[in-house]
Amino acid sequence: MKKTKKMTDRQKTYILMVIPALLLFVAFNTIPLITGAMYSFTNYRGYGSYEFVGLRNYIDLFSDARVGNSYLFTFKYAIAGTILVNLLSLLLALGLNSKIKCKTLLRGVYFLPNILGGLIIGYIFSFFFTYILPAIGSAIHFGFLENSILASEKYAWIGVLIVGVWQAVAMNTIIYISGLQTIPADIYEAGMIDGASRWQTFKDLTLPMLMPFVSTNLILSTKNMLMVFDQIMALTKGGPAQSTESISYLIYKNGMDGGQFGFQSANAVVFFVVIVTISIIQMVITNKKEEQL
Amino acid sequence: MSTSTKNFVPEPIKVRVKTADEIKNDKDSRSNIVLTILLILGCVTILFPLYMTIVIAFKAPSEMTNDIYGALSLPKSFSLSNFAEAMRVTDFWHSLGNSIIITAATIILSLVIHSMAGYAIGRNMSRKKGFKLIYFYIVSGMFVPFAILMMPLVKQTANLGLDNMVGVVILYTVFYMPMNVMLYSGYMKNVPMAMEEAADMDGASAWRTYWTIIFPMMKPMHATVAVLTALGTWNDVMTPLVIMSGTDNVTLPLAQLNFQTQFGTNYNLAFASYLLALLPIVIFYILCQKQIIGGVANGAVKG
Amino acid sequence: MNKAKTVKSLLLLAAFSSTLLLQGCAAGESSDGKIHITMLQYKPEAVKAFEKIEERFNATHDDIHLDIESPNEAMTVLKTRLIREDYPDIVGIGGDINYSNFLDAELFADISDLDVINDIKPAYLQIDKDLEFIPQEGVYALPYAANAAGILYNKDMFEANGWEIPETWDEFLSLCDTIKATGTNPLYFGYKDTWTCLAPWNALAVGLAPADVCSRVNSGDTTFKAEYAEVAEKIKVLLDYAEPNPYAYSYNDACTAFARGESAMYPIGSYAVPQILSVNPDMNIDSFPFPANENEEDNVLNSGIDLQFSVMKESKNKEAAYEVLRFMFEDETVQIYLDDQGGIPCKEGEFTLPSFLNGMEQYIKDNRMSDYHDHHYPSEMSVDALIQTYLMDSSANSAEIFLDRFDNEWVRYNRDLIAKVKKYEEGQK
Repeated sequence: MKKTKKMTDRQKTYILMVIPALLLFVAFNTIPLITGAMYSFTNYRGYGSYEFVGLRNYIDLFSDARVGNSYLFTFKYAIAGTILVNLLSLLLALGLNSKIKCKTLLRGVYFLPNILGGLIIGYIFSFFFTYILPAIGSAIHFGFLENSILASEKYAWIGVLIVGVWQAVAMNTIIYISGLQTIPADIYEAGMIDGASRWQTFKDLTLPMLMPFVSTNLILSTKNMLMVFDQIMALTKGGPAQSTESISYLIYKNGMDGGQFGFQSANAVVFFVVIVTISIIQMVITNKKEEQL
Repeated sequence: MSTSTKNFVPEPIKVRVKTADEIKNDKDSRSNIVLTILLILGCVTILFPLYMTIVIAFKAPSEMTNDIYGALSLPKSFSLSNFAEAMRVTDFWHSLGNSIIITAATIILSLVIHSMAGYAIGRNMSRKKGFKLIYFYIVSGMFVPFAILMMPLVKQTANLGLDNMVGVVILYTVFYMPMNVMLYSGYMKNVPMAMEEAADMDGASAWRTYWTIIFPMMKPMHATVAVLTALGTWNDVMTPLVIMSGTDNVTLPLAQLNFQTQFGTNYNLAFASYLLALLPIVIFYILCQKQIIGGVANGAVKG
Repeated sequence: MNKAKTVKSLLLLAAFSSTLLLQGCAAGESSDGKIHITMLQYKPEAVKAFEKIEERFNATHDDIHLDIESPNEAMTVLKTRLIREDYPDIVGIGGDINYSNFLDAELFADISDLDVINDIKPAYLQIDKDLEFIPQEGVYALPYAANAAGILYNKDMFEANGWEIPETWDEFLSLCDTIKATGTNPLYFGYKDTWTCLAPWNALAVGLAPADVCSRVNSGDTTFKAEYAEVAEKIKVLLDYAEPNPYAYSYNDACTAFARGESAMYPIGSYAVPQILSVNPDMNIDSFPFPANENEEDNVLNSGIDLQFSVMKESKNKEAAYEVLRFMFEDETVQIYLDDQGGIPCKEGEFTLPSFLNGMEQYIKDNRMSDYHDHHYPSEMSVDALIQTYLMDSSANSAEIFLDRFDNEWVRYNRDLIAKVKKYEEGQK
């Protein structure tokens, strides 16, 4: 009998321990989420009076070229970024996990970009793209580089991508390294007896063992890449010719500054649904892959 | 464990025989010199932008000519005047102080609130439906983009009188809650109940047991949570931008954004200011590199 | 506003749960017994002048304490404050679409009982009247300083080469050819900052399109495609005379380049002069109206209100705010502002115009002026980016694409406004 009473005390404590987190979460995540969804049915400018306009904002969203372009840009950026980041970081992780000199120092250097703020890095690269790269371009007479790529409607997104990838590789590399370290060595011994080539070893042994980390990394980098904001703010402000407006940037720009509070709330709701959908799809696919192996 | 949780909390690998390094590299020890050189060369892509920042920050505007040499050569003398001016213009110490306060407060709140929740959830979610529900409810917050919360939060924090540093700290505590609760509750799976049961026998309350035994035991996870939360909050621009704009209080990155127009085309001044803004975290990183990388790696494996 | 109640009650719920934990964090009110007046003005480049004005005001007033804020990205700051319902007492903004929107949102107080109004040139009060979506009773803004946009030129360079000030479009183009032949850039643009695309656009538009084009489009009388065709054509011609790839350079870069003599002319507003002089204080700058037409008589100077003050309806100290405004319009104060920022005073009286406006003075005296067209464009439509897109588009039918897009997007972004005006007009009948 005594024990059951203790357990109820314990249960009470458990509940008390969750309450602060739960309250904060409801107040500053769920409630704003609901309010945001509500504003998406209004023509609110952010100040003054407003009216409910039904589904108009949502209908407009699908016919708005600017919103459409921001989705195109964001997806182009996220897909290219996720692939690049994962390829580069996997290569780096394999390299950094091999028997090399100055291992700790090298790992330290390659992780550095991750601790630096995106905005400031953006400003630094902005100078690099505007002045240094064109100067190098004209010094080696390479026409493509002679003009700042940030000023090109076609290639500005690549500039943003370079900065985004430069920063994101670090984190994924560390995750892959931790993954590589969980692979027991005897698996390789078995592989070596079979006389497998290095590529085969990687493909048949390392990669399958690494799969959970690949899926973590894919989900992580897709989500971060889809939310790109700082780099845009520092490098292009959405230009030139609106070619690098990401969804987050457009919501900030027109929602806060442009008096489209209601309309951009609708945009944000759709964006939320898109992110959740993509994450679920990714999880289902990677789960299947893992089960197959 | 159901399939859907598998992604969040992969089973910890308990058996770790020995790393593949030794055996694999015994075979091809000659390749490591080539690889080392390649990797060192690769560092150029990381270090070049930083080199550029440093030399430009130390130069006088008159030393900047329009060719590569003018921008990238070493400065004639390492003058500190750009830094003094940048500190004055951006009110450096003030914004540094704000950044430190915000980051420190967020970490403390996160360690306390998130670890408690993570503990309670971790201990109960396998048996109690309610806790499992709370777990998924909080963790699903990971997929809510800041963009959708931004505008309502601006209104809400202002209505509550929280359009200041306190508000920013609270928001960070909420933003990092999904990740941290996941990390803590995942960690609790590896901690056997034996400790608590023993304490129970001695008549200690659950509350006391938590603070005297469990909380100290979660130390490795505290380090991970602190590192991940700190990296996120220190460099964040958007939250202070929308919550605190128009007040005198800015954070270090926000100051760079605010003074961008004031720098004009004086890139030397601007770069001195960027360098100053980067310096605190770089110093911190050099001092605690091992813990930081370890913390991130730990979070990744558990997350 | 009944519908807002649901939102409010939700917010209250949130407030209830969190204020319990966290109260008393906001900064306390100062208790010096003075009335505190906050003014937020949107020109960060004028911060020095306003600091001086603030200091003088506070030195001469025991009962009122004036606090002037001049933040960067001021419109974003102001709008964020409005979203937060954290209102300053006085705002200093431009006479543009933001004013129209704020007025439409009933944020401003009627200040027609303020005596200073009688000292203001009626032409500028009229500009503000034209900015009202729906005609309002009363006065809601006090125009303070106007600016003019056209061409700024390097006077020393012009004199040394014997170049003449052009008065027609043809003369302008042949001058550009002459300058180009000497190896100097005739023009310089900072098109990386999209808003700068509007400077030559406006300057051309006032000469080539009717001043009330926006309201005429709204009432269905005409289209932008018809009215702006020539403006679109001419703004593209200018690119031949500017530095290569102007989209790589920002407003700051362009000001610096012009200040360093890298171009002979710079199509921008007079508001750029302080920035240019900060790079090269000895520079001799003068200006002329954009010669957009074949006949000099058809040219119009592009001039609008650069800074005007409004009192917020929410201000609890209207009398004290009036006192601040009276002080702002004292001749001495106006002169402090003009000395720092240049510009054209909106107050009647003998003020010396800055020398860089010499070439525009006759137009100002003759009142041959017209407001910036973009003051009527909704900011979320981002017409500046549309223009930038058009300028970068090298396809043969780029003008058609651009003008069609202009007309189409206009309807969508102004839908609520058009409906509102129609409803009002029907009510009048």
